[in-house]
Amino acid sequence: MTTKKSLSASIIAGLLASTGMATAQDCAAPIKVGVLHSLSGSMAISETTLKDVMLMLIEKQNEAGGLLGCQIEAVVVDPASDWPLFAEKARELLTVSDVDVIFGNWTSVSRKSVLPVIEELNGLLFYPVQYEGEESSRNVFYTGAAPNQQAIPAVNYFLEELGVEKFALLGTDYVYPRTTNNILEAYLMDHGIAAEDIFVNYTPFGQSDWATIVADVVALGEDGKQVGVISTINGDANIGFYKELAAAGVSADDIPVVAFSVGEEELSGLDTSNLAGHLAAWNYFQSADTPANAEFIAAWKEFAGPDRVTNDPMEAHYIGFNMWVNAVKAAGTTDVDAVRAAMYGQEFPNLTGGTAVMLPNHHLAKPVLIGEIQADGQFDIISQTTEVAGDAWTDFLPESAVLKSDWQTLGCGMYNVETETCVQLTSNY
Amino acid sequence: MNSFFLRNPSTLWFLMGLGLFTIGVTILSEAGIGFLSTSFIKILGKTLCLCLIAVAMDVVWGYCGILSLGHFAFFGIGGYAVGMWLMYARTEGIVLDSLAAQTIPPTPQEISDAIGNQIFGVVGSSEFPLVWAFADSLFLQLLMVVLVPGLLALVFGWLAFRSRVTGVYLSILTQAMTLALSLYLFQNDSGLRGNNGLSGLQNIPGFETTPQATISLAFFYASALALALGYVLFAWVVSGKMGSVIKAIRDNESRVRFLGYHVESYKLLVFTLTAIIAGIAGALYYPQAGIINPAEIAPIASIYLAVWVAIGGRGRLYGAVIGAAFVSLLSSWFTGGGAPAINLGFYTVNWTDWWLVLLGLSFVAVTLFFPKGIGGLFDYLVRKP
Amino acid sequence: MRRVFLFLALWLGFAPALQAQDLQSILQIHATEVADPGRRTVNAVLDDLAVSGLSGVADFLESWQDKAVWQRADGQFFVAAEAGNDLHLTDIVSGAQSTASKANFTQIKPNGGVRRVIGTALVQFQLTDPDLARRTTAVASIARSPNADQLAPLLASIAPEPDADLRARKVQLANFLSASFAATPNDRIAAIDNMAQDTSVEARAVLNQILTVRPGVAAMLPDNENVAGVLTPGQDMTPDAAYSLLVAAGLAPPRTPPGVIRAALEAHIDGGRVADVPVAQLNTNAMRERAYAGLAAAGRVPPLVTPSDRDAAMAAFAFFEIYAEADPAITDAAKRALASVETRVAAGQTVDLALDALSLASIYFLAAIGLAITFGVMGVINMAHGEFIMMGAYTGYVVQLFIPDYTLSIIVALPLAFAVTFGAGVTMERLVIRHLYHRPLETLLATFGISIALQQLAKNIFGTQARPLTSPAWLDGAWVFSDVIQISYIRIAIFVLALIFLALILFVLKRTRLGLEVRAVTQNPGMAASMGINPERINMLTFGLGSGIAGIAGVAIGLYAKVTSEMGADYIVQSFMTVVVGGVGNVWGTLAGASLIGFLQKGIEWLNPSNTLAAQTYMILFIILFIQFRPKGIVALKGRAAAD
Repeated sequence: MTTKKSLSASIIAGLLASTGMATAQDCAAPIKVGVLHSLSGSMAISETTLKDVMLMLIEKQNEAGGLLGCQIEAVVVDPASDWPLFAEKARELLTVSDVDVIFGNWTSVSRKSVLPVIEELNGLLFYPVQYEGEESSRNVFYTGAAPNQQAIPAVNYFLEELGVEKFALLGTDYVYPRTTNNILEAYLMDHGIAAEDIFVNYTPFGQSDWATIVADVVALGEDGKQVGVISTINGDANIGFYKELAAAGVSADDIPVVAFSVGEEELSGLDTSNLAGHLAAWNYFQSADTPANAEFIAAWKEFAGPDRVTNDPMEAHYIGFNMWVNAVKAAGTTDVDAVRAAMYGQEFPNLTGGTAVMLPNHHLAKPVLIGEIQADGQFDIISQTTEVAGDAWTDFLPESAVLKSDWQTLGCGMYNVETETCVQLTSNY
Repeated sequence: MNSFFLRNPSTLWFLMGLGLFTIGVTILSEAGIGFLSTSFIKILGKTLCLCLIAVAMDVVWGYCGILSLGHFAFFGIGGYAVGMWLMYARTEGIVLDSLAAQTIPPTPQEISDAIGNQIFGVVGSSEFPLVWAFADSLFLQLLMVVLVPGLLALVFGWLAFRSRVTGVYLSILTQAMTLALSLYLFQNDSGLRGNNGLSGLQNIPGFETTPQATISLAFFYASALALALGYVLFAWVVSGKMGSVIKAIRDNESRVRFLGYHVESYKLLVFTLTAIIAGIAGALYYPQAGIINPAEIAPIASIYLAVWVAIGGRGRLYGAVIGAAFVSLLSSWFTGGGAPAINLGFYTVNWTDWWLVLLGLSFVAVTLFFPKGIGGLFDYLVRKP
Repeated sequence: MRRVFLFLALWLGFAPALQAQDLQSILQIHATEVADPGRRTVNAVLDDLAVSGLSGVADFLESWQDKAVWQRADGQFFVAAEAGNDLHLTDIVSGAQSTASKANFTQIKPNGGVRRVIGTALVQFQLTDPDLARRTTAVASIARSPNADQLAPLLASIAPEPDADLRARKVQLANFLSASFAATPNDRIAAIDNMAQDTSVEARAVLNQILTVRPGVAAMLPDNENVAGVLTPGQDMTPDAAYSLLVAAGLAPPRTPPGVIRAALEAHIDGGRVADVPVAQLNTNAMRERAYAGLAAAGRVPPLVTPSDRDAAMAAFAFFEIYAEADPAITDAAKRALASVETRVAAGQTVDLALDALSLASIYFLAAIGLAITFGVMGVINMAHGEFIMMGAYTGYVVQLFIPDYTLSIIVALPLAFAVTFGAGVTMERLVIRHLYHRPLETLLATFGISIALQQLAKNIFGTQARPLTSPAWLDGAWVFSDVIQISYIRIAIFVLALIFLALILFVLKRTRLGLEVRAVTQNPGMAASMGINPERINMLTFGLGSGIAGIAGVAIGLYAKVTSEMGADYIVQSFMTVVVGGVGNVWGTLAGASLIGFLQKGIEWLNPSNTLAAQTYMILFIILFIQFRPKGIVALKGRAAAD
């Protein structure tokens, strides 16, 4: 009852907002794009790059004639890696700066912080980072990987190609590793891995004392099964972990490690010569050998400096921004509901080859890449799948298997296919 | 009561100022001429809550001499206590709506499972942990806002004061307490959603259709009222005979003990009372912030609290209010990119990067050269004419 | 199997008919598998290559494994080396050299699994290769994927092996292979008995493989199988797990989960009632089961399996485990050997845990020892101590930027880090702390201000990204006592460094003029001054010393973990607690405090290995309680020195 009321309220709010925006069409004011990335605090190192890539994309678009005959103006704010501040700044962007779309956030908790605000004010957010799924918001497009676009293919690679029979799931203690590992545990058990062959360990952010954990992982091999490590260890804790792996002489041939949060940037903090052969799974690596990628890297280096590397969330913003531009062109307006309707089925070429498609569940269909760490800190892509459709609700947890997200035809992000009802229209934050 | 205000004119001045401020904000808000946006009203409301905990901090440190580096833990507990009800009640509404559509009425177990799945699904669980036992009752959770910080402070303080842990040792111990609490809450196993914390707290169950402009104004009033009441309460505590004993403990604990006062009881009372007020401030703060998570109660937050009080001026309640309001608003102005970058030719000073350096150094300067803080300026104003 | 047989055949000189073909044409037959090999598909290629008996096979396989094979647009394969935008090509049949642009070629990248399979195929060529590195690779390949066919060639290669270490390794591996694959049970038992002393993971793997069991259920215990043990539901396994075994074996009907019950009820709503129960009343499990029973009685749904049905079904069957190995003599021998090994492993793990704890304690000690001087001896609270650690680490990083040789750079970095933080400490003492000696709480706050400023300053200069501080090659790796007990050299180095500093500080404080003056000034500055000591100078030097040691600790900690602007903050609270727990004013106390915290943390981690965060939380709680009950710390000073 109550949710329905709030829904109608938000629809009214949305209509009001859209009439307000209609005046922007005659180009009395430029089209505004909010950039909500931390420029200070612990997340700044990752997010500043994304702010820069947004500025580059907007500049390129303006050079190409802008959008709907208007120039695009970037509104950059700094939520300072402070989660409540994300909500505050999002509200400011939508009500004070009146932006038409927001590109931003990194980490699930920052997204959960802005979700209520974006949904209340009917905004539009493009979230560019790989995440744990189990969420679907009408107002968010998830251009990063869902678990089935990163974790599941990587585990398949372990099972199929490396013949791993015993898994160590090591993660930092927060929501992304927890949920991902839950999904992986269920998936592995479906594939005949016994519960006692799955070792799970959670460590705090910035953990540096890895000796015991690495010893535990090595000892897993005592029943003669091939051991593999699935790492969702976050940020600089990886440095101590890989250093300890190297010190213990664990080679990728003995115990392969696949990481979901280690990219080109993280590797710059350590000497990778002892780590060659360990793996990472992403939708994008800088080493991808395509003309589009070469062009993107060249443009990026020209814009930001010759030493800068590119990474997966940057590609996500690249695809997301271009799709949004095309959707606005198709809709002929920046009105959120019209753009949202025009987003479905939008196609844009990936930097790694193939075409990304925006699905009705607000996720992309993208290829999954697995790369081996090389001595120079880059990744050697050894496996690339065809496009995998992102899945908001995983098929491997019983509570989520019955849920489906389809905003285009069903108009619901949390649709229970068993009872054929919409559980809720807002997202679960 | 009259005589209390006569003896403490600054309290009266403060209440009048706060009243005028509230009226002014109402007129400028979207309910009035619409000059102040809803997000700014939320910032002001949050700042009032920070002022309240700063006043509490001033009493415990500036008046009683206990430098607690853990009062933000109590603030956070208050936020968590009220946040649990907000999350539970909101989710319950959603779940009941969705289950009502089924052909067969749900069992209590199914309802509880569905709520649990909604709340804990994102952290990979659906079981209700024990700490959520009272989450369905607003009254009990509000009681916990007061009881849990109070009890924690009582037990902690009793142990510490009884063993005569004083001075810097106590500071480090309180810091360890807030560190332990935040580490505990960071764990997913703590049952409070780990790093994600509790979110969506700005949506008040039962007021789904009320616009945030109204809700934020209501919370602003509530925060102002809480600050006024808290200020009066503490002004009353630190005036009169008890206030004299408390200040005497700060200046020379042993001498007060020799005079026959039970020092530990006084300290415990002040410590517990300020913890409770901190809890109430937190309970009002987080519904305005929208999300609470363990990073909020990391040790650094309590240190900033001490910084506000020191810059505002210790040993005077309005000093704490000024410090908290001034430094926190200035902080958000600087870090929010509000301050223009200064181009020095060879280097551009970007305030988002340099603000903390400035804050840290100005803090050193205040300790060294202006121990009375900003509040000390009022002494000049009062004495000069 | 077939492949290996053919390899053996080749060795014996029976060249099959396929020999006439050349390598390229064989590869072209399997072009897709070669260009995009998978672990499960690559065997087809390898088999044919083996059958061909061509001389270039081994070289080709090695190149393939090393990602040095490229495919031209027309499908031809080449061995190639990259040179800028060009490739130096080697024809795989003729060996002819040429150069071509990369544009027309795709590199073939076999994944780790494929490389392992290729490695196994290469074993036959490499086991007796003159090159020691190749032989070592071959032995490693056998260790990774042991199989029965490798036993004979491995045994044959032991006698001619010139390298003593490798020969020992071959003997060990041959023993493992014999335990699993030897022809007669007696040989296998002998090999198994040989392993009773071997605590390596590989040995345990072999034994555990022999002892693999699978669960079984039947009306009676089977007598033609090697039964490992009988399982009693409720004791060895949960009743539900036992029942699901019965269901899986087709011996009992499956239970009906609540979801299915609900679906069945929904499907049979008849005029607002389900089997005479009104729909509105179906909001409890009891009512739902009653309604379902009603449906079942009417024969419209399969009946419910009640708990008593389940128990009755379980009582009728025996649950047991069967060894995959049929011979009881072998499993008995393996059980004996494993029991003996596991006692050793348990002892080894205790030692290893103690070593880890010792190492952690030495890290805490190193982080806290500077504080033991500034806080412990002088009584100055320096909250920026952590930032001095960070400054030391960054000094090490900067030195490595200028001196690429890691050994030399560390030798330079250690004294330089001391100098930098000594300078910082002295500056801070002169400018700030000197004015606050009688106001300890203010010192705490002022140094916090400095700490915040320094941290942000480091971020502005070096960025928030972690910076590399690489240890010299001779500190790489670990001191391996056995597979169970090992500790990395860097940790040993930190331990030694901690010992050196302990000795140094004790020496300075107890045996030198400076130490005497420090103690004098600490106990009574006025009296010390009247004896001709300059207290200001002594305070400055002591503070500098404590800060300088923090800088050296920073280099050590950076080497083993990471260098970030926040690394100091990670250690500051723990360092203070180390000093407080140990007892202020006493270096031995700090040592005791660090040991207590290190061992305690490892102990709690051992109790709950899946959650390291919990260990830290409980450790801090313990310390808080400990200080409440023993506020003076472990090593409490007595007498006048104890007065505040």
